[in-house]
Amino acid sequence: MTALIRAAVIVAGLAAWEVAARVGSPLLYVPPSAALPALRDLLLLRSYPDVLEHLWLTIGEILAAYGLAVAAGLGVGGALGLYRTLGRVYGPILAALYAVPAVVWYPSLMLFFGLDAASKVAFGFLLGFFPITLAVLAGIRQVNPQLVTVARAFGAGPLTVFAKVLVPGMLFTLVGGLRTGLALSVVGVIVGEILGSKAGMGALINHAYGLLRTADYVALVVVTLVVIVAADVGASLLERRARRWTG
Amino acid sequence: MTGPALIEVDGVRRRFQTASGPVHALDDVSLSVGDGEFCTIIGPSGCGKSTLLGMIGGLVMPDAGRILIAGKPVTGPDPRAVATVFQDPGLFPWRTVVENIAFGLELQGVDRRARRQAATALLGPLGLRDFAGKYPRELSGGMRQRVAIGRALAIESPIVLMDEPFGALDEQTRLLMGEWLLDIWRRTRTTVVFVTHSLHEALALSTRVIVMTARPGRIKSVLPLPQPHPRSMESPELVALRAKLWGEIREESLRAMDGMGGPEMAPHSPPSQAPRRRRGAARRDAP
Repeated sequence: MTALIRAAVIVAGLAAWEVAARVGSPLLYVPPSAALPALRDLLLLRSYPDVLEHLWLTIGEILAAYGLAVAAGLGVGGALGLYRTLGRVYGPILAALYAVPAVVWYPSLMLFFGLDAASKVAFGFLLGFFPITLAVLAGIRQVNPQLVTVARAFGAGPLTVFAKVLVPGMLFTLVGGLRTGLALSVVGVIVGEILGSKAGMGALINHAYGLLRTADYVALVVVTLVVIVAADVGASLLERRARRWTG
Repeated sequence: MTGPALIEVDGVRRRFQTASGPVHALDDVSLSVGDGEFCTIIGPSGCGKSTLLGMIGGLVMPDAGRILIAGKPVTGPDPRAVATVFQDPGLFPWRTVVENIAFGLELQGVDRRARRQAATALLGPLGLRDFAGKYPRELSGGMRQRVAIGRALAIESPIVLMDEPFGALDEQTRLLMGEWLLDIWRRTRTTVVFVTHSLHEALALSTRVIVMTARPGRIKSVLPLPQPHPRSMESPELVALRAKLWGEIREESLRAMDGMGGPEMAPHSPPSQAPRRRRGAARRDAP
C-alpha cells in the first residue's frame, strides 16, 4: 500500500513536471519525456562517450580531497586538542575561517594549482578539512580528562592516548564531522569543476549547460547526484556502525 | 614485615600556578616506603597528598628534590614499576570489564589471548566473575572501583598507588571494600601507598600512617602500625591510636579550613587577618 502511494506520488510529480515544462519553455524546463531519453543516451555512452572517464576523475578527486581532509583534520584537530595552548590560540581562528564562504578562496586555488585536478582536490580538501578539524577539536574536549590521565599512568604516549582514548571517546562527534566533511569535499570538487575545468562531471555539466543541451545537463546532474547520495549512504552506514560500537 | 626501601622521596617541593597566584602544594617532603608495606598518607584537603602520589607515579614532576624507585629516579610514568588507582576509577566506557582490566597489558603489547586470560583470572578475586562482558555503566560504584583496582593489579607492578580509591563510595561499601583490599594485599604482598581521608581506613589497613600538614604539605608525623591484620577497631590499643591520630589530623584540618576562608572553628585563630583567597581556586587539591 505504502509502495503504491509512493509510486503514485512520483508519477503525479513527473506528470506535473511534464505539464509545467511544456507550458513554459521545454528547452529551459526540461520535461521528463526529454530528460529520460537523455539519461538513457548518457548511460549508453551515446551523448558523452567519455562520461565514465570524467566520472572516475571526479570520484578520484573526491577520494583524494577527502582522504587529505581526514588526515589533516585528525592531525590538526588532534594537535589543537592535545596541546591546550595551541588549541586556545588557533581554535578560534579556525572557527572564524570556517564561517567564511569557502568559494572566495577558489580563484586563488586555481591560480596556485591550475585548471586541472589539483585545484579541485585542493578546494574539496579545504571544504572538508574544517568540519573534520572542528569535530576532532570539540570531540577531544568532550573526552573525560581522567581517562587520559589513566592512560598516561599506564604508560601511554601521545599517539597511544590519541588512538586508544581520544578516538573511541569522541567517536560520536568524530563520525558526525567525518560525514559532514565528506559531503563538503564532494561539493568542493564538483563546484570546483563547474567553476572552471577541462574534465570531470562538473566540466561536462558546464559544457551541456553552456550549449543549452539542457536535457543532457539534467541527465549529467542525475548521475552526479547518484554518486553523491551513494557516498552519503556509505557514510551513514559507517556512522550507524560506529554508534552501535560505542553504545 | 618491612623490607629495604623501595620508594625513596627526598626533599620534594612543588608549587602550582592558579588563577589566584601560586599555591605551595608540597614543601620539603621526604619519606621512604619499604617493600611490602601498606603505607597510608592522611591529611587535610588540599595538603598535596594527591600531588605526592602523582609524583611517585611519574605523572607530576617535582620542582625540587627527587624520587627514587628501587634506586632509580622517576622521570615519567613507568607501569613496570608503579600502577595507580584513582578516586575517579576512570574506566573506559567503550570497553567491557575484562577489556578494562586488560588495558595495561594491552599497552605493554601482551597479545589478545594472553591478556584476556590474565584479566579473566582476576575476576574471581575481584568478585566480578559474572560481569566479564559488562560495560562500566552497568556496574555499581564499588564494582567499578574493583575493576580499576583489577586494571592496576593486572600489570603486576611491584607498587600500587591508590588515591582515595573508596572516597566516592558509601560508608558500608567502603568498609567492605577495605576488607576486600586487605585480603588482596595480604595475598599479593604488593607495596601499597594509599591516600585517604578516612581514619578508619588508615587504622584498619596500614602498616604505617603518614600524617601530612595543611598546605604547604609537609610530613607532620609517622605512626607505625605493627598490629596484625585483621584488626579490631574496638581494641583499647586501636581506640587509643585512633584518638591520637584524630588529634593530629583535627589540628591540621582546622588550619586548612582556616586557610581556605572556611568556618573559623579553632579558638586560637585570629579573625581573618590574611586577605581571603578566592574559594574555588584555593581549594583545588591538585591539577
